[in-house]
Amino acid sequence: MGREPACCDTEYVTQLTSSAASRWQIPRIDRNERVLGGVAAAIAIEVGVQPLVIRTAFVILALAGGWGLVVYALAWAVTAVAAPNRISPYRPQPKGATSTHRHVAVGSITLGLLILFARFSSDVFNNIVFPLGFVLTGALIAWSRGQNDEGLSVVARVVAGVTVAVGGLIAFAALQFSLVDAIVALIFGLAIVAGIAIVAAPSVIRLGRDLDTERQDRVRQDERARISAHLHDSVLQTLSLIQRHADDPARTTQIARQQERELRGWLYGPGPSASDRVRLQSGLEAVATRVEQSHDIVIEVIAVGDSVTFERPLLTPLLDAAGEAMTNAAKHAGVPRIDVYAEHRDAVVEVFIRDTGVGFEPDDIDADRRGVTESIIARMRRAGGEAIIHASVDAGTEVELRLPIPEGATQP
Amino acid sequence: MTRLVLIDDHALVRAGVRAELETAFTIVGEAGDVPEAIDVIVREKPDVVVCDVHLPSGTAADVIAGAVHRGVTTVFLALSVSDAAEDVIAVIRAGARGYITKATDGAGLIDAVTRVADGDAVFSPRLAGFVLDAFSTDLSSPEADPELDQLTAREQEVMRLLARGYAYKEIARRLTISIKTVESHASSVLRKLQLSNRHELTRWAADRRIL
Repeated sequence: MGREPACCDTEYVTQLTSSAASRWQIPRIDRNERVLGGVAAAIAIEVGVQPLVIRTAFVILALAGGWGLVVYALAWAVTAVAAPNRISPYRPQPKGATSTHRHVAVGSITLGLLILFARFSSDVFNNIVFPLGFVLTGALIAWSRGQNDEGLSVVARVVAGVTVAVGGLIAFAALQFSLVDAIVALIFGLAIVAGIAIVAAPSVIRLGRDLDTERQDRVRQDERARISAHLHDSVLQTLSLIQRHADDPARTTQIARQQERELRGWLYGPGPSASDRVRLQSGLEAVATRVEQSHDIVIEVIAVGDSVTFERPLLTPLLDAAGEAMTNAAKHAGVPRIDVYAEHRDAVVEVFIRDTGVGFEPDDIDADRRGVTESIIARMRRAGGEAIIHASVDAGTEVELRLPIPEGATQP
Repeated sequence: MTRLVLIDDHALVRAGVRAELETAFTIVGEAGDVPEAIDVIVREKPDVVVCDVHLPSGTAADVIAGAVHRGVTTVFLALSVSDAAEDVIAVIRAGARGYITKATDGAGLIDAVTRVADGDAVFSPRLAGFVLDAFSTDLSSPEADPELDQLTAREQEVMRLLARGYAYKEIARRLTISIKTVESHASSVLRKLQLSNRHELTRWAADRRIL
């Protein structure tokens, strides 16, 4: 009574974790701490002894008719099956009262298993369990997955595994039996493995294929989700905007143009690139979109030789001057369309901004317009380029911008 | 009067284009996909087919190939929003006489249809840009045919002015040549685009990550 809710929650959580992480847990394999499969090390961590102790126990058991290998494989299977289902955090606590207790425990368990297994050992068992042990060990080495599976290391591992399995088997068998017996054992062992493989292969293959199909499905779903997200953010929004502005053709056209350009860039354009580099086409498109947004105008941008990226600061004066020219045309020309043509060749970028509007007499321009003109010309001159303005009454206006590109300033 | 067939998978677009062209031409048929389009063309034998580049079951190139396969020779004008350069070049190489974008206004559309009906080539600024790009690389391969694989200086000049948004009339005035000469330059470029086997046409598309 009178407890703070927060206090209760904390206590509840503490209880939950402490009850979930019981004193005995299934060992967890640590990839960094392994010699073979890491089972011995995992058990050692769980029990609280040096890995060498458990490894020695396994070797002793393995010598007793190969049973150690069977136990090892079983332990491996158990840890592998348990791993994905583990919910509680793995916090191993040393078992027993002291280190001596733990070692005595490990020793007596090993001894007990040894006596138990010795009773079941016979020549038949020796002939089956040992070959199988070697073959399985080889197979496990071959098929165990490393952190980074490179092509070469996979091949190397398979070769190593097979060598260990076959070579080890023959060497061992030859020491104990005649060579004929060893080969018989090998054939026997291989026959068993082959039998298991034939029985299990269809379901294993099906499992593999299912996993593969599932992965492909997931990739496809991700891609579809990405596309639909993009379409939702862009095209659907635009369509609803267009519906709202259905009575205003100019605005509708402008919205549609902007969307078209954006979608075109998304479909055909280069992927997202570093923001400090810019392409001629995309740079001009961005400027054109800005002008289209603030004026009732359609701007068609054509770029030739647009196969490289420029450092953004290099192109900025050109893009700004082009933007000024587009704005001028949008404001004064009185036509619904501007053509922008850009070409990059022979270390020069040229941009032409053209309208077929009212034009003007170059000697007869008002102060306001002169100011803008000066800003185009002066800006290009500062950047080491030039700007030429062709205009005459009733024949439209064309602004020609030219910027030399220093060697090494472009990248593919 | 020139007889037209319109091919576009969007009925709304067909209606819009029809409204703009009806005043000047007779529209004898419409279609929304490739097989339908080929049937209409074979049945009506129109003078000009105005065709969208992308259709539900193929491209305009398939329509052209299908019509030619069934023995109908007619003039194609590709009309599209904004497509990958590769697709547009493919349609031209299949035999279309021109390519214009849907942003073209009514007068421009009528002018383009009239022009292709007369056997001339029609280049929108975008197509002219594609052409300049495709023919811009230096030619070093020994089997190159300079007659087909390169643009003359004059042709480049004409293409550049087309890409800058100039009309044939304005180009003629600017270069002080006749409109007929401008038209013949354009037709010559179209022929090169269709017949050239320069591998740059494909390599160029690959470079620009279009393929």
